[in-house]
Formats: sequence, C-alpha cells, structure tokens
Amino acid sequence: MNRSAEQQQLNPLREGLSTRAVPQPCSIVIFGATGDLTHRKLIPALYNLAADGELPPAVAIIGFARRPKSDDDFRKEMEEAVRKFSRQAVRDEIWKTFSQSLFYHQSEFGDEAGYKSLAERLEKTDTERGTRGNRLFYFAAGPDQFETILKNLKTAGLNRAKEGSWARVIIEKPFGTDLASARELNRIVNDAFEESQTFRIDHFLGKETAQNILVLRFANAIFEPLWNTRYIDHLEITAAETLGVEARAGYYETAGALRDMVQNHLIQLLCLVAMEPPTDLRADSIRDEKVKVVRSLRRIVGSEVAKSVVRAQYAEGAIGGQPVPGYRQEKGVDPKSMTETYVALRINIDNWRWADVPVYMRVGKRLPKSATEISVHFKKAPAVLFNKETVKIDQNVLVIRIQPDEGISLRMLAKIPGTSLRIEPVKMDFHYGTSFGKASPEAYERLLLDAMSGDATLFARRDEVEEAWTFIDPIEEAWHTKNDAPELYFYPAGSWGPEAADDLLARDGHAWRRL
Amino acid sequence: MPAAAETYSLGAPVEIGKIEQELKKLWQEGEGAITRASLMNLAAYSEQPGSLNDNTQLMAKITEDHACRAIVIEADCPSEENRVDAWISAHCHVSHTGNKQVCSEQISFLLKGGCTTQLPSIILSNLDSDLPFYLWWQGELHDPMDAQLWEWVDRFIYDSHDWKNFPAQMALVETAQREAKQRLVLCDLNWTRLDNLRFALAQFFDHPASHHRLAKVSKVQIDFAPAFRSTSLLFVGWLAAQLDWKIDAVKSSRELRFTETAGQHIDVELREHDGQPVHGVTLTSGDVEFGVTYANCGDLLEVSRVQTGEKRIPQLLPAGNNDPVDLISEELIRGGPHHVYLNALNCVRDLL
Repeated sequence: MNRSAEQQQLNPLREGLSTRAVPQPCSIVIFGATGDLTHRKLIPALYNLAADGELPPAVAIIGFARRPKSDDDFRKEMEEAVRKFSRQAVRDEIWKTFSQSLFYHQSEFGDEAGYKSLAERLEKTDTERGTRGNRLFYFAAGPDQFETILKNLKTAGLNRAKEGSWARVIIEKPFGTDLASARELNRIVNDAFEESQTFRIDHFLGKETAQNILVLRFANAIFEPLWNTRYIDHLEITAAETLGVEARAGYYETAGALRDMVQNHLIQLLCLVAMEPPTDLRADSIRDEKVKVVRSLRRIVGSEVAKSVVRAQYAEGAIGGQPVPGYRQEKGVDPKSMTETYVALRINIDNWRWADVPVYMRVGKRLPKSATEISVHFKKAPAVLFNKETVKIDQNVLVIRIQPDEGISLRMLAKIPGTSLRIEPVKMDFHYGTSFGKASPEAYERLLLDAMSGDATLFARRDEVEEAWTFIDPIEEAWHTKNDAPELYFYPAGSWGPEAADDLLARDGHAWRRL
Repeated sequence: MPAAAETYSLGAPVEIGKIEQELKKLWQEGEGAITRASLMNLAAYSEQPGSLNDNTQLMAKITEDHACRAIVIEADCPSEENRVDAWISAHCHVSHTGNKQVCSEQISFLLKGGCTTQLPSIILSNLDSDLPFYLWWQGELHDPMDAQLWEWVDRFIYDSHDWKNFPAQMALVETAQREAKQRLVLCDLNWTRLDNLRFALAQFFDHPASHHRLAKVSKVQIDFAPAFRSTSLLFVGWLAAQLDWKIDAVKSSRELRFTETAGQHIDVELREHDGQPVHGVTLTSGDVEFGVTYANCGDLLEVSRVQTGEKRIPQLLPAGNNDPVDLISEELIRGGPHHVYLNALNCVRDLL
C-alpha cells in the first residue's frame, strides 16, 4: 500500500472520498528555476494541482537559480509561463493564492553560502507557512550540476530531515550516460540521500495509459492467460516524433536516440508489458518485478549488434509538406555527426513467459507522425478453414496507445457482409478522450504529487537504471569501435526510417505496424 | 443526421417498435467524422410538465463529459389517455482532443397514463446492451415501485432535498434496494452536494500530526441556506458516523448535542441564512479552528486553520456548483458503493 493510502486510512474523514489524500505540507525547492522544464512543466503542474485542490494547504515553492531576481519577478515570470502552458485556464483568484507560495532564492549552484541561506530560509518558511520541515528538492538543472548541488545540500544539512519530517530528491534524466557514470551518479546521490528518499523521474510512467497497462493486464481476466509465448507472436514498441533535435543539439549530440529514449522510456514501457504480476501494489513489489524484466533482456554484444540493432540519422526531407533540414545541418550539430536520431532493435527476453517472443522497438525523430504505442501481436489461428487466405496478415493485435489519443484497440478478423466468404480485419477501439470526459492530469502533476506523498511506484529505482545500462552499453560500445562499427544509415525526414529497420523484422517474417 | 451544433430539440419522432432501426439510420446518415460513444445508459425520469425539454438540455451538457445512451422520460401519470410518444436525437460535441465529434444518442418518451406499469417495459427494451444502467429519478417516488425495474438498475440517483417526507421516501428507496437482486448503489445528489465541503474539511486531517484534533472536537457550526436543512444534517451525520459520535440531545431545531466515545460533548449549531446550500463549516478543536467557507466568487472554497499565535494562510479549493449537471457529473465519475452516505444517513435519520 502506498503512503497516500495509509494516510487515508488514518483519517476517518477521508473514507469514501474520490480524491486522494492531500500530501503533507512541504517546501519544494527547484534547482534550475529559470529553465525550460520549470516554465513549461513544473510550475504549470503545481498550479494545476493547486487548482484541483490537491496541493497541501501549507506549501512553499522556492526557485533556486543563479540569475538575480526578486520573489515578485519570479512570480510574474511564472504567471506568464502558467498562462501559456497550463492544462487548464488560469483563474485569477487561484493564481493570487498560489503565487503567494512562490519564492525565489538566488545563488550559484556551487556557492556554499547560498545553501546555508537556503537552509535558514526553509526554517523560516516552516514557521511562517507551516511546512513542517518537509523538503522536496527537484533537480531541474543540467546533470553536470547534480554533484555540486548534492554536495552542498549535504554540507548544509538539508539532506537530512528532522524527526517526524522528510527530505526527498527528484532527479531528472539522464541518469548517467553509461553504466559507470550511472553508478557514479547513484553513488553521489546516495551519498547525500538514501535510496528511499530518491525519486528518479521518467515522465512516461506518469502518463495515464502507461499506468493503465497494469490495470489492463491484471484487472481483466481475459488477457493474462494469453500473455505469454504460447499465444503471443511478437511485441512492437514505437516512439515516433515529428520534431527534430530543436534546441537540444548540445545534449543530443552526446546522447543519441538509444540513450535518450531507449535506456529509460522504452525499457520502462517494456517492463510494464512484460513483468510478472507483483505480489501487491507497493512501490517495491512492482519495481522488483520490473527489474527482473530488464535483467532478463538478452544482451546484444559484438557482431550481434549489427544484426539486431539499426541506427540511423535523418537527412533533409519534409514534414507535413514543409521542407526540413537534415540532422547534420541543424544548429549546434557537428556536420560529420555520427549521432543516431533513429534506432530500431530486436530484443529477446530470456525468461519462461517470453522465450522466443521477439520484441521490436523503434524510436526516431523526424518521422511522419508523433505517436507512442505498444502493440501485442498474437499468434495466428491455424491456416485451415477461414485462414487460408488471411495467413499473411496479423490477425489479432492489441494496441496500447500511449500518446497522443490515448487508448486501446483490438484488431480481429470479421466476415464482410455478403453472400461470399470474405474476411477482413476490423478494429475495436477505446479512446480515453471519448470515453472519459475528464481530461487526464499531466504526467508531471501525478509524479510531483506522488513524490510529495512518498509513493515511488512510478519512479525508477537504482537497480532498474543500472540494469538498463548493462543492456545499452554493449550496443554503444559496438557503435563506437574503430573497426567494423555497424553502419549508420540515413533516412529522409518525414519517412518511417531506413530500409534496414524494415529488414530487421522482415527476416523474422514480420513488418512494422503501420501507424 | 446527428447535429453538429447543439439544438436541444427532441429530434425526430419515431414509432416505439422502430427505435433501434431509426437510431441505426441516424448514424448511417451522419456526415463527416463522428464517433458514437456510450459508456452507460442514463435514464432521467420526471413527472414535471415540460421536463422533457429541460432534461434534454441537461443531457446535452452531461454528454459533453459522459458519453451515454440518454433515455429521457416525462410522465403524465394522471392522464386518462394511455399512450407513449417517442423521439430520437443526438448530442454531438467536439472531443477534448479537438479532432473529432463524439456523439451520444438520446431517446425521449412522453408517457401518458399508467406510468408505473409502462416504465419498466419502456426502459428495458431500450437499454444499450452490456452497459451499466443509471436511473435518475427526479422528484418524489411512488408506491408501488416495480421490482422488475430495480433488478436492472446499477445506480439509483435521486435528490433527497426534493422530498417532502424523507422517512416515507427513504423507505421506498430501501425497499427498491432490497428488491434488486444485484447490487443497487444509492446516489443521493443531496449528499453529492457535500463532496467538496467534505474534501475541504477532510484534508486538514491528512497529516498524522493533526489526527488527535479529531478526538478533541467540541463545537461545530454549520451555515446553510433556507430549504437546505437536510443537506446540513447529512453533513452532521457524516461527522458523527466517521468520528463515532452518538446523538445525545436535540436542544432545538438549531442546536444538537453529540457525545464521542470518551464522553466528551460536541455541540452542533445549525444556522440558517441565505447563501449556498451549505456555505460554511467551522470545527473547533482545542485552540484550533478549522474553517471552510465559500469564497466571494462562489465556486471556490476558502479553507483555513487558525490557531492562536499562528499566521492564517487561507487556501482556495474547488467548490463545485449546485446545478444538476455538475452534481450528476460528479456522481457519474464515481464508482463503488456509498456506504459512507448510508452511515451518515443512519446517524441523522430521525432528524430528517
């Protein structure tokens, strides 16, 4: 049971209410308060929580950044951001109250005195606003700043909470660039905060459909008996986006699609689809099962990389009829860059449930449309009676759409009305937007609330992150050897990737699902 | 053809025996990209003249967020005529993602004479199969109710605020509940009215450090609007049921006394004046006052905890609206039974 539910049990007035328990009062300190993430996601998410009445009655949000700024300047900036990026329209009355909980703390990340004054300010806030010594530190700064911030938090004693209070840290990806750096980062984090205080955020897990995967699998009796190698032919996971590298060239050049998307988001989705049923819904019970999936991923090493992984980069092309430059022509990108903007993988999960069920993953920028989905392709019915003609198509496919247009669809075969016997695939479709009028909260809203409540279910644990790197590292290694490095393919922007990615599936008699 | 813009009309008249065929035609003749959606059957029954049009307007708004097959029934029970007229129409709205029209269908009936005998057959033959059935009964219930109908109802929605004789009406509801062979969830909109207030008060006690305050409550003040005494009593019932208070004395219509398990008395004052149905609650525990009151804008609650020597930091929370669309919407997004409601009701049943 998560802490929020425990709290609810202790408060008799909570019984039967459809809203979750409000987290304990706390101060939220955002490092990197002038950055894009704070403007676009964090403050709008906190505002929406306030508007929905889900923030604790006593809360203080303290932006920590280098630029000199007053509380009022910060509030004005944040108001603009919220008006621009909030899921729901800003109400002046709510903003007025909410903005009074916003503060700005100016300091260099490396300035020890800045943390000392932060500690004093937090103490004062506890007294003035009733935040009770609870602190949530959100690292929205670049990963190169993490170590400095953590060390200074520790020196100022902010990593330890007083008795009866808590201190937690939320870390944004990337969680390292390989296993060694991830371990080092984890060592640094755990040197200041214990694992139970550490929340590694993966916003994909905050999405309603990602959370619904477990409900779909374990709340419906019809799927789980079929969810294994006996009935499933293969799985596909696609994360496609039309956007190019935009303003992230500096980061992307050192990361690439494999590190940026596969190591975290896609492996996390795969875990939810492939994990065994947990013993209960506690955070660690779920994460125990997830990490077993990552451990079971067959490592792709040496010459296997060229056979099982396709990397590619977008060249000049067009998106929605508009010409767009190639990756190497983008601002901030090395004209000879070998960074992959597309990757397709054929993965095996070596466990009892998934033996001989290939998993195909693809992720790419500048693809014809933005869509993230998981498709479960069931084995074909025997090619007798009705299926002699339809043997070439996937008969039953269950599609879980993560974004956009979240929902689930099931493809099956049906007879075309008429006197002759003709069979065509039809689709049963469930759309969140159509079925449930209420708009889903943004992933960051859910995740911030969970962190405030101490519920780590939707956050990645240290061993999950490190195991994922043990899978990714040999692929990166193979790509960066001087001799016989697997080829980097090119695909025109606006296409579905290189032919080599199609061949990856064609070799097994499969094809990518048409999106 | 489903209307792209909302018209609030009853739509096309149809023969009773051809409703399904005509609905099929309605969708086949639709133009453009539309999706017919339905998560439930929602039937609204009223004996109020003119309710067919009023409820059609309500359904138009409800279906914006809750795709359903709407069945709207106006009954003219005393009529000497014995006939049924029916219409079909669609409520179409652009979906939240903004890229398609989502449409719900409505079947409207005007019953004349023999209401209670006609009702089950009218409803049961027009339910969208395999979807839950919510029956929204507007106004007073009649005796006898048809047992056959209750077997099909999943959620029975009513507003006890409209009842003139609460014990008699509640007895009918409870008989229906007993007659239903499956679980029949009772949904009282008079209780739903209190959702946001209950949430606003409950959130003060989520923190473990504040739990002891619940055992020390000595005084409760509730401000309610004329005609909403029953709503305020349900609120008192909720506190009593959840905090294990027993009624001790009814000093007057505005003063009640409860006793908690350790023997401490709790004085409850009910104050009637103009405003929202229940527009303010103050709970005193030792030297702390927990207050929930409507903010001036009318759809937000201002909550505050005041203790001697501490700065008052008011917070705004959603208050919801006391209109039928909001109340029904709130009810439709819920699941599960309302046992907390039944416990609250039982605590104040004799006062209602």
